[in-house]
Amino acid sequence: MELFANLAHGFAVAFSPINLLMCLIGALVGTLVGVLPGIGTIATVAMLLPITFGLPPVGALIMLAGIYYGAQYGGSTTSILVNIPGEATSVVTALDGHQMAKQGRAGPALAIAAIGSFFAGCVATVLIAVLGAPLTKLALAFGPAEYFSLMVLGLIFAVVLAKGSVLKAIAMIVFGLLLSMVGSDIETGASRMAFNIPELADGLGFATVAMGVFGFAEIIRNLDHGAEMDRNLVQQKITGLMPTKKDLADSTPAILRGTVLGSILGILPGGGAVIASFAAYTLEKKLARNPSRFGRGAIEGVAAPESANNAAAQTSFIPLLTLGIPPNAVMALMVGAMTIHGIVPGPQVMQKQPDLVWGMIASMWIGNLMLIIINLPLVGIWVRLLRVPYRLMFPSIVVFCAIGIYSVNNAPVDVVLAGAFGLVGYWLIKHDFEPAPLLLGMVLGPLMEENLRRALLISRGDWSVFLSRPLSAVLLAIAAGLLVLAVLPTLRAKRDEVFVESEG
Amino acid sequence: MMSIRSLAGACLSAFAALSAFAVPASAQNYPTRTITMIVPFAAGGPTDVISRIVTAHMAQTLGQSIVIENVVGAGGTTATTRAARAANDGYTLVTGHMGTHAASVPLYPKLAYHPEKDFEPVALLAGTPILILARKDFPPKDLKEFVAYVKTNAEKVNAAHAGIGSVSHASCELLNSILDVKPVGVPFNGTGPAMNALVAGQVDYMCDQIVNAVPQINAGTIKAYAVATPERNPSLPNVPTTAEAGLPAFQAQAWNAIFAPKGTSPAIIATLNAAAIKALDEDNVRKRLLELGSVIPAPANRTPEALATLVKNEIAKWTPVLKPAT
Amino acid sequence: MSDTPSEAPVKSILPEWVRGPQDFVGGLAMMAVALFALWASSDLQGMHGFSFGAGTAPRMFAVLLLLLGGAVALMGILKDGPHIAAYSWRGPLFVSAAIVFFAVAIRPLGLVVSAFAAFLIAALGSHETRWLEAIIVGACLTLGCALLFPYVLGLPMPMFPRFLIQ
Repeated sequence: MELFANLAHGFAVAFSPINLLMCLIGALVGTLVGVLPGIGTIATVAMLLPITFGLPPVGALIMLAGIYYGAQYGGSTTSILVNIPGEATSVVTALDGHQMAKQGRAGPALAIAAIGSFFAGCVATVLIAVLGAPLTKLALAFGPAEYFSLMVLGLIFAVVLAKGSVLKAIAMIVFGLLLSMVGSDIETGASRMAFNIPELADGLGFATVAMGVFGFAEIIRNLDHGAEMDRNLVQQKITGLMPTKKDLADSTPAILRGTVLGSILGILPGGGAVIASFAAYTLEKKLARNPSRFGRGAIEGVAAPESANNAAAQTSFIPLLTLGIPPNAVMALMVGAMTIHGIVPGPQVMQKQPDLVWGMIASMWIGNLMLIIINLPLVGIWVRLLRVPYRLMFPSIVVFCAIGIYSVNNAPVDVVLAGAFGLVGYWLIKHDFEPAPLLLGMVLGPLMEENLRRALLISRGDWSVFLSRPLSAVLLAIAAGLLVLAVLPTLRAKRDEVFVESEG
Repeated sequence: MMSIRSLAGACLSAFAALSAFAVPASAQNYPTRTITMIVPFAAGGPTDVISRIVTAHMAQTLGQSIVIENVVGAGGTTATTRAARAANDGYTLVTGHMGTHAASVPLYPKLAYHPEKDFEPVALLAGTPILILARKDFPPKDLKEFVAYVKTNAEKVNAAHAGIGSVSHASCELLNSILDVKPVGVPFNGTGPAMNALVAGQVDYMCDQIVNAVPQINAGTIKAYAVATPERNPSLPNVPTTAEAGLPAFQAQAWNAIFAPKGTSPAIIATLNAAAIKALDEDNVRKRLLELGSVIPAPANRTPEALATLVKNEIAKWTPVLKPAT
Repeated sequence: MSDTPSEAPVKSILPEWVRGPQDFVGGLAMMAVALFALWASSDLQGMHGFSFGAGTAPRMFAVLLLLLGGAVALMGILKDGPHIAAYSWRGPLFVSAAIVFFAVAIRPLGLVVSAFAAFLIAALGSHETRWLEAIIVGACLTLGCALLFPYVLGLPMPMFPRFLIQ
């Protein structure tokens, strides 16, 4: 019963007035960062790091953690309202969330996103407390070969994201993969397709491309003649603010599955929340009795990815707290925050810093509670924002997006690039190419290539490692099975119907 | 509490902006407004933390605040290029390090600046020693065995590093060139993933800065063969130096130093250098730097001239090691 | 994103045998992107031994995109499909202009000037804009941003034109 003693200790730490205040500030800033498009958690945590210099270490880390998972709550808001993802993790939320808003159901979409995040957050927090140490083994068992196989699985899954033509969706994934190749080669450092532009030396930022093809492209499209009708429709028929009983019943299994998937993917180094949200969405679509509802306002399409990204955000703390190794960039900044305070996290951080570790775990639960209390009443305010005339809304969004993108690297070139991708995105819409698979390709591309090359370097070019390592072999087998399922119907060119048959 | 802090900060900076408006900047009464220190790496990393600890004290001496701006990218060269092109009025400085002001010369043939020609050296801050690390079940027990093992099994061993241009990459290349071996280098995105692979036993060895490795060594998840400095490090008293362990040629530390754009007036450089030296002698600053496992330079090495010599020597040291790698 | 508003079909300049101009042109453009990528990555080293080299993956994906683009274009020939939707020029032009202006102005002119000007330039993109209203909202938004980004979120940004400060 050491666990309960630890948790009790953690809550005692987290309930001190200063730590409660830090948790609240973190949750509020996180929500704000999540809502504002472009501004990411990495940039904000990096900027706020110096402020924590003067705070007690536990309070500082509680606040920074709050920003990270708070952003997962806020990120869905602009995705749903204006089809502009506030965070990379909310890209898929836009697919069905914005459709729901167009049908006047922005309220239920926002509410279910908050409820799903809350549930996932609570479960994942318990998971960290109870299973943190054993789950660490998973992070260590995942080598380059396993990671590559997981990415292959992810790519196969990605095809399912497509709403229309599968062929065009695959073309978009490959386009995304190609875009992700821009930058420095990891093994040789050679500059690839960067044309000696220094800002491209580290590649195209995900936020830059996402803001372009989703944000700016959406605005430009809405300014088209004939689009006015569409917009006015959105403003007129806003129905209830809260989900109905049916909505809740539909979402419950999706939230459960999203939580499980997110919790597992969050632990893995490097991938984390973005992949979790994509994976949860595709899983729901695969399991749905009627997959054609997805992309047309299915509430599961909001509930699952939002639960998954918040669960992943919480469980990505596990490698940090048990191994002292940061699994992603935000966690690396957390290590930085600890270092500034003279604590260098390692495998013994749980024994050496019980205040810090258990205080943080307890604060995550408190933080999630605060976030749902903050976010549910906000739903009404956000929905009212939809009534602002578009002629005033769109220049504001342009300015917010521009500032957000600029703030990521303080680089004006990024803003211009996002603008260029806005035009690309507008063209893609006109030719019925979907941007979501493109973004997934961008996320998966580098992870896939780098891990493939790492695995082959370690095995000295022996491709059999992908099959001789059991975990990797299982992942590839699932991928192959899915590929057969996905390709067969395409050959018959009647994908939707056959999918219903094979699934139903 | 935080909002009051930031509000106070806002008032201060507004005041600073106003006062700067009134008094034109000159070398006599330097500094009259906020100084920007560009740090070419992410907040929280060793270079960033060392810069913050030292500049916080320098700001007290100078009577003006020093704002740290973290600009990441391309192994720190993006930020250093920006600093090289900044106005040479003493209000934009950069924390350069082993990578940006030495290893970058052979690594990036199209580098937009030259560490010697485009910068005025100001002051050497602190360096973090490099360790030779290995997975916990790697057969060799000490450095001598390690050298023999790597030489006889050169075809089999894997060396991890944190990406081309990183400190761990450069120092590993130096070690390999001294041993005259060419193991397969497995690149990772940053020290975190590389350390993860080492702890998990997916790779055999790597060289890295002391900061992140100490807790892992103490917990026994990885092992350290030697520290590449002339003296043992207080945070790892049981780890021998490379000289003690039989490989005196391998000496490396990730030094950090303040640089100003070329043409900054000597009076400003002298003011900044004095403030930096004062910070390095202050007890609290020393204590915090030592906690990180870093090495504080001896008084003789703290002058701008000594820094200029260091940069020259370091470029000469890294160029032959890193040239063939690209 | 298939819900492009239905617009009067533009008279196609493409030959008769192109039955789905939208897919046909889309596929050709993807092929062009792929060819460009092949050209851009042609200077990179390929496979050597068991090492992949820098150029292998980009070229592989480019070839794949070339094939897929070709397949999409082929679909445009074989299957009846929608015409190319009409493009408007006003929205894209002014929104892009606002973005570019912001990018160019943020460093020398600071947040206040560039945000306000970018708001007004973007507002030119819609014929619905009422100017008095736009100026008031733009000013409020600029004020809000000037407080929000540097102070609440602590992002270091120049606020005012550089020549005023120095």
